[in-house]
Amino acid sequence: MLRQSHTSRRVAAVAVSLVLAGGAAACGPKGGTEKAGSGSGAPGGAPREGGTLTVLNAEPQSDFDPARLYTSGGGNVPSLVFRTLTTRNREDGAAGTKVVPDLATDTGKANADATEWTYTLKDGLKYEDGTPITTADIKYGIERSFAAELSGGAPYLRDWLVGGESYEGPYKNGGKGLDSIVVPDEKTITFKLRKPEGEFPFLATQTQFAPVPKAKDTGVTYEEHPVSSGPYKVVKNEGDGEHLTLERNEHWDPKTDEERKAYPDKIDVRSGLDVAVINQRLSTSSGADAAAITTDTNLGPAELAQIGGDKQLAARVGTGHFGYTNYLAFNPKVAPFDNPKVRQAISYAVNRTSVVNAAGGSALAEPATTFLPEQEAFGFTKYDHFPAGATGDAAKARELLKEAGFPDGISITLTHNTAQNRQTGPEIATAVQQALAAAGITVKLEGLENNAFNERRWDAKNTPGFFLSRWGADWPSGGPFLAPIFDGRQIVTNGSNYNHAQLDDQAVNTEIDEIAKLTDLAAAGKRWGALDKKIGEQALDVPLFHPVYKRLVGKDVKNVVISDWTGVLDISQVSVK
Amino acid sequence: MTVLLEPAAPAPGALAPGAGPAPRAWRRLRRRPAALLAGGALALLVLLALAAPLLAQLSGQDPNAYHDDLVDSARGGVPLGSFGGISGDHWLGVEPGTGRDLFTRLLYGARVSLLVALGATVLQVLLGVVAGLTAALGNRLLGRLIARVTDVMIALPLLVLAIALTAVVPPDFPRPLLLVLAIGILDWGGVARMVRAQTLSLRGLDFVEAARLSGNSTLRIARRELLPSLAAPVITLAALKVPTNMVIEASLSFLGVGVKPPTPSWGQMLSGAQTWFRADPAYVLLPAGLLFVTVLAFTVLGDGVRTALDPRAGSRLRVGTRKERTA
Amino acid sequence: MTRFVLGRLGGALLVLLVLSLAVYALFYVAPGDPARLACGERCNPAQIAQVREQLGLNDSVVVQYLHFLQGLLAGRDYSGGAAVLHCDAPCLGFSYQNDRQVTELLLERLPATFSLALGALVIWLVVGVGTGLLSALRRGGATERVLTVLTLAATGTPVFILGLLLLMAVCAYLQWLPFPTYVPFGEDAEQWAWNLLLPWITLGVFESAKYARITRSSTLETLAEDHIRTFRAYGVGERALVTRHAVRGAVAPVIALSAVDFGTMIGGAVLTESLFGIPGLGKTLIDGVRVVDLPVVVGVVLAIGTAVVIAGAVADLLYAVADRRVTLS
Repeated sequence: MLRQSHTSRRVAAVAVSLVLAGGAAACGPKGGTEKAGSGSGAPGGAPREGGTLTVLNAEPQSDFDPARLYTSGGGNVPSLVFRTLTTRNREDGAAGTKVVPDLATDTGKANADATEWTYTLKDGLKYEDGTPITTADIKYGIERSFAAELSGGAPYLRDWLVGGESYEGPYKNGGKGLDSIVVPDEKTITFKLRKPEGEFPFLATQTQFAPVPKAKDTGVTYEEHPVSSGPYKVVKNEGDGEHLTLERNEHWDPKTDEERKAYPDKIDVRSGLDVAVINQRLSTSSGADAAAITTDTNLGPAELAQIGGDKQLAARVGTGHFGYTNYLAFNPKVAPFDNPKVRQAISYAVNRTSVVNAAGGSALAEPATTFLPEQEAFGFTKYDHFPAGATGDAAKARELLKEAGFPDGISITLTHNTAQNRQTGPEIATAVQQALAAAGITVKLEGLENNAFNERRWDAKNTPGFFLSRWGADWPSGGPFLAPIFDGRQIVTNGSNYNHAQLDDQAVNTEIDEIAKLTDLAAAGKRWGALDKKIGEQALDVPLFHPVYKRLVGKDVKNVVISDWTGVLDISQVSVK
Repeated sequence: MTVLLEPAAPAPGALAPGAGPAPRAWRRLRRRPAALLAGGALALLVLLALAAPLLAQLSGQDPNAYHDDLVDSARGGVPLGSFGGISGDHWLGVEPGTGRDLFTRLLYGARVSLLVALGATVLQVLLGVVAGLTAALGNRLLGRLIARVTDVMIALPLLVLAIALTAVVPPDFPRPLLLVLAIGILDWGGVARMVRAQTLSLRGLDFVEAARLSGNSTLRIARRELLPSLAAPVITLAALKVPTNMVIEASLSFLGVGVKPPTPSWGQMLSGAQTWFRADPAYVLLPAGLLFVTVLAFTVLGDGVRTALDPRAGSRLRVGTRKERTA
Repeated sequence: MTRFVLGRLGGALLVLLVLSLAVYALFYVAPGDPARLACGERCNPAQIAQVREQLGLNDSVVVQYLHFLQGLLAGRDYSGGAAVLHCDAPCLGFSYQNDRQVTELLLERLPATFSLALGALVIWLVVGVGTGLLSALRRGGATERVLTVLTLAATGTPVFILGLLLLMAVCAYLQWLPFPTYVPFGEDAEQWAWNLLLPWITLGVFESAKYARITRSSTLETLAEDHIRTFRAYGVGERALVTRHAVRGAVAPVIALSAVDFGTMIGGAVLTESLFGIPGLGKTLIDGVRVVDLPVVVGVVLAIGTAVVIAGAVADLLYAVADRRVTLS
């Protein structure tokens, strides 16, 4: 699961962090589709080159190493420095959910059953020192992401590549490589997979697919000055990624890169800032802040309320969608949730209006009745198996409880995070508690500190019976959304388990395998949607809402592009002149 | 931590046994209008907190009930209406996002703030007195050890350790009690240091010396001779500890490790409220104001108590009136 | 004197040892698996096991602590992937979550914390002591009443509320100052000062209240002493009495308390540092707690403990120097 476009594991809006905007820093990517207009509300005119772009972020770029980053589509700031085999289409809205070539000439050629993917590099690709980029460096970059010292990335490479499960990286066993990555020449690279994976081109957008020259690899300290293959290079990295200065990489050839516009001459990334301060600085837009953006902070409810009447400010707000679902999870192995009627009763009793308000109101959250986000790329198929209406159907819930053998109501415990992040935190939990009370369900709240909360809900042996959870997409498709949650073979008993319901249904597993064989993503989407609808009938969870992201930019910022892939304003498209 | 070196602590023996200090102190306290006002305000607050369920019933509001119709969902859930949604039903308006009634939430919040602040103070005094007496009367090694430990206790990053403690303890442990324990156990150093210093100087005084010469045990001396003399400075310090503890509780709640929702507390309300500073000022100013006034009142009262118990030190707030100067 | 210093030092070392052990144990049992947190959210069991092995988390807490002590006294080696990293004594450990040596990390964070504490110190010495003196001089008058109310108000405001109100008022409403972003002194001294102004004021004003009260009461106490009465009888003016003579009574306690507060502030300004995003020790500590980065947490706590112990000793010395009546024991 992706929690944030980058630096995912540091996100933890923990109790101890001064989450001033109540979790604005904590939530996932944000941004806008109904963009603030190309050129935004800022002074019009075409975007031009030059100037310094300031980035005000909450989370530092602590692990600025392509092996360690966990990104969706290569991240934002990272994608300025790291080019990958494929990348996301840098366009507004739904068009931005497409995979496009980056270092490679196409999005990959698959063999007949999609177990082998081959890429060819473009001509004229160079690192910041002018040396040519080769496929051997891409292979090495992937290999080092297997080293325990450089952990942090997504699990797919390990799960998909032949031999990936036991490979320990190039620093061990005499620098042995991974045989399933074949490099016949400097321009070609082939990946051999354990089973068909039609979505491999999506995976090739992640930073692990960035080239790393072996001679320049310094292990854990590589992050201080990673070698650039993109339009900018790191000239300063202070305080473990808190202050990053990027300047133009003269060896980057725009002719080889159709996606990154790279208008500013210099990019100054300041992080470790308070979310409230970030938004205030952007709204004030004085001095260098006029040419500032943020890639990890969205507006909170109070800020939206304040902006409400201010037309000028409102014009600088972009809206973004990113595949995310917040839901109530059940562990059907724990009574009384083993009874489908009880789960259905709760589905009926939920008041999504209260929940949406607790999440920041209708501008920041959309009520959800499906597990898949409401975007075509995910294969969204509308359904509402247990219609609760806008505010819950307490009568229907009581009726179901009676049928389940609880005519006098029940008493249950809801486990939640103590971090006030408006996602899995106490705000949402109390809203659920109130709604269920009307249906005769007494909810006791069990708040756990962030780390403890995550360990509990990811622990298959000790999963709470009823808790708040959320799931985000690693790329815009049904695969990484449904498989980790509902594939019986992905139940992990001694690590992080995301299949909370521990569903192991032969039919579901088979269908997941069948869809994975498709390289026609549109056809795959339809089947993901149908599968979601089918699983939904079992009431294994109660979808609550999909978050919406509101992002503010400085007054001189132009060319705001926000795709539905990241939901974040794309830093590579921004102009400040 | 605030009061460790203050020279204004009562001189040893200022209240020698048998002087009947209580009535005199009360008389002196009565002559201080500020302290009386503060005391009155606090009494009222305690009364309101105790009567919270009754008052909630009177206003017809449940502190935890949601009112989705009272907030503007499209604008981040800002309360509809002016001044944070003040109405005949909601005397102090409603909470943004949830529409919960602020008047009753503030009332119930007072219970937590007061309970934790007072409870933690009692614990601090108990631990501090025991540690301080042991440090002063125990053998050399033990005394030194406790003195050094006290130094460190005073200097510990209290908030951080309290957060760690609250994370280690199982979640079904009662939260207010946990807060009392965390604050009490981590912040008794100031009391201990003061008690040790006082005891060391008292030890040399005649009446204690006399008791020792007549063959009384250390424990007996501590109980019969020292404790009564320590009462005044300890009460004074305790009175000043209450507002400090209240602020600590608010800070912990502010950081999200305070009481469990939906139970309200002022610090927790503040942490939710702070971003609303411009959009809904009432929501910030109510808990902030209440916290401010309460802490202020406790400080003034504490100071009044100090002056009342030790007239020679004079008030640190307003001494040196003409009369006192010539006295 | 030498005995005093040595005794103090021995006691301090013992206390620091106990402190580090206690913190180590407390965070060891705290929830949150460091290996899983270091590994990332989607790590599979095999990968977590590798990271756990690499972090040395398979050893018992006692062995881990002993390794920590060994590093502190003799230095240690850590696996850094492409190369082995050596950490010289005194080595506080290696933070795999920061990919840094803790000692290095702390030294890097110290200037920010020190800057914050230094400015706050100046403010409380000027504002706090000044207020105390002024109210001692103008006792009984309207000025004193106003100052009393202000002092009390400052005492009654939790530091996070004060900081927040200042931030909103000065930066958001009035826009007199930009929102603070820490700039190192070496980079740009002027920007350093401007950006630290609000944190200084927040912390300084918060602490000033205490100093105003102490200054005032000590001054008044001295004023009541015999030799001052004699001066007064000789017709020395009230102003001269307070500023030239009575103020001496306040010097010792103010200096002593300042030393302790300064020491405490090295790690205790957690809320202020977090609120203003100052990359100091307090913020490092909070961040370390978040991700169960044991080496960092223990390292910072030890640093704080050391600062406090030193400050305590300095306070005693200063107190003795400033006030001859006190002898060191």
